[in-house]
Amino acid sequence: MSITAETAKEHAKDPAVLCCRAEAGTVLSASNLEDPAIFDDLVDSGLLNLDGCLTIEQILGATLTKTCDSLTPLTPDVLDGVKEVASEEAAEETAVPVAAAPAAPAPVAGPAAGGVLRIHIGEGKDINIELPTGLTSGGAAVAEVTEAPVAGVAAAPAPAAVEEEKVIRTLTRKHFKITEVKRGPETKIEGTTLYIREGIEADVVADQELVKKFELEIITPDKYHTYSETIMDVQPIATKEGDSDLGTGVTRVLDGVVMMLTGTDEDGVQIGEFGSSEGYLDENIMWNRPGCPDKGEIFIKGNIVIQEKTNMERRGPMAAHTAFDVITQEIRTVLKKLDESLVVDTEELKQVRRPGKKKVVIVKEIMGQGAMHDNFILPVEPVGVLGARANVDLGNVPVCVSPLEVLDGCIHALTCIGPASKEMSRHYWREPLVLEALHDEEVDLCGVVFVGSPQINAEKFYVSKRVGYTVEAMDVDGAFVTTEGFGNNHIDFASHLEQIGMRGVPVVGMSYCAVQGALVVGNKYMTAMVDNNKSESGIENEVLGCNTLCPEDAIRALAMLKTAMAGEDIKKAEKKWNPNVKATNVELIEKAYGKKVDLVANEQSLPMSQKRKEKYD
Amino acid sequence: MKELQYGDKIIRMEGVIVDIDDCSISVDLKGRLGFFKAPKRMFICDYPLKVGQELGWNMSFPEQLGPEVNEKYVSNIEKERRKQEEMRQQRIDNKEV
Repeated sequence: MSITAETAKEHAKDPAVLCCRAEAGTVLSASNLEDPAIFDDLVDSGLLNLDGCLTIEQILGATLTKTCDSLTPLTPDVLDGVKEVASEEAAEETAVPVAAAPAAPAPVAGPAAGGVLRIHIGEGKDINIELPTGLTSGGAAVAEVTEAPVAGVAAAPAPAAVEEEKVIRTLTRKHFKITEVKRGPETKIEGTTLYIREGIEADVVADQELVKKFELEIITPDKYHTYSETIMDVQPIATKEGDSDLGTGVTRVLDGVVMMLTGTDEDGVQIGEFGSSEGYLDENIMWNRPGCPDKGEIFIKGNIVIQEKTNMERRGPMAAHTAFDVITQEIRTVLKKLDESLVVDTEELKQVRRPGKKKVVIVKEIMGQGAMHDNFILPVEPVGVLGARANVDLGNVPVCVSPLEVLDGCIHALTCIGPASKEMSRHYWREPLVLEALHDEEVDLCGVVFVGSPQINAEKFYVSKRVGYTVEAMDVDGAFVTTEGFGNNHIDFASHLEQIGMRGVPVVGMSYCAVQGALVVGNKYMTAMVDNNKSESGIENEVLGCNTLCPEDAIRALAMLKTAMAGEDIKKAEKKWNPNVKATNVELIEKAYGKKVDLVANEQSLPMSQKRKEKYD
Repeated sequence: MKELQYGDKIIRMEGVIVDIDDCSISVDLKGRLGFFKAPKRMFICDYPLKVGQELGWNMSFPEQLGPEVNEKYVSNIEKERRKQEEMRQQRIDNKEV
């Protein structure tokens, strides 16, 4: 199929191949050329050999000297009047006067900047010039900020003053240590021992009509090698002090212990599950992932049995989560009254705005297809149930929250299937991208937008258009879009990126993709993408939390967005998943920042279960 | 990971939606070629879902990855089966009481 002049321009540096038979004497134009997007497949299958092929910009306007069949790569021997195009280096050099400062990071700092940044304005009014701060040409990262503004201030006629940081609100986390969990006559905390009332199981069962049975188990590290049903959720135990709302004031949290929910229906069928992913805890949990338990923590593990056949209905998982919260709520009540002297650590999280810095927003796509593909948004207590609204009930439309609300547990995730890529409730409590962006002094994080992923395409586009307008109204310089899992949620994921990208806002997408989660759709705005995969073979390896967003992904995404916001090109992705791309980017970032990026371990670090050994690796 | 031998032999398949719940869709393959049930998010839908709607997709033939039996899965399946049996029995007993 021939291409348009516009496409030809976009692909100026790509190989020129005839789309259909052309007679000798034809003056070549875009309409004679095949779309370079399909070449990879043709080369792979051996139908096309691009050796010695000229680029599109070289052959446009040239005359064919020989009649050629379709799919003939255009080489100098069949053409007359091939354009000499300056080599890559030369092209870059000519661009220097415009982009001197951004292109060369080192000279920026010195008084004798490598080139001259000349801005000439003959006549004008209300001119704002913003200069990218400290950029490298490496296509990956940013040099020290402290130095970069030097060039900006010196050169920019408009005031490029960097204003003071503004602390909008703070959230204090008071940590209480728990080293032992026991059963006792009442729920209480004594020193570092948490007692859970005997007989609390009956309250859990009584709370929801659908809940028929409940068992509580306390898993200490020596019991990690215990058989367990599929893990539905991992939650922190936290409560608000006084009347403060989520995301403000003081939150008390228990360290060393997490709530873990598992469940089946009365017939023993897993809640909202497909296939078997149950097994031994220590073989199935990727320790220390943001959403997972940390190694050494005690799990208060509840196994809920709900009415038969409700495991695949929306009310089933909802009832399980709501009933399980009875226990957490009882612990919260005790935690509220705990003596201050037991606080082992106080952490202050600040929501900082940095006027004058690049304004960014994080769009997090959460599941919204129904049943366990749902999330309770904004409960009264961190990761609670009371007061929250399910995003399916909200129509999956975008909901704006503050970064501190995210870190204070504003999402109670019912967590979709696919253990390796699901973001559990605890993930939001320790969301790495929000933390990185909040602490990065080079960007101004203005907020977080949660948007659900509905089932039907029309609804998907309905919500993604709302995302577009929300981001437009925010007037940001850059955006992140993240999603969990894979499947049809990649359709709206792509649409969110398009809606943001078409408004001229640089946007970075983050998802698990690799081999199994390869994107089903794409558009021209999906150029900057970060893959959350950690598994060795690039697959859903049934290990809880393995392929979720981690600090290393957040660092890569930030570096990529800064690069995109600076107007630099991000290299095209390779056709097939190649883990080396990540390795190279991490190396580039380490070089540019001068600091080590610690990469997390993957399933290879776990005791190798027979199933993984044989099936995957 | 073992390479597939026939992975590129793609054939067009069609099926009919026979059941829908809040998280999955069940599909009968046309031509009495089987049945499958998969999570909703693995389906691409342009219209509201209804039983009786037809679906199409490309697939190849599942190939065995090797002769070995993975004991872990066998034990999981067995445990699952026994548990389900037990729980069902319990429920029946409770009803009788």
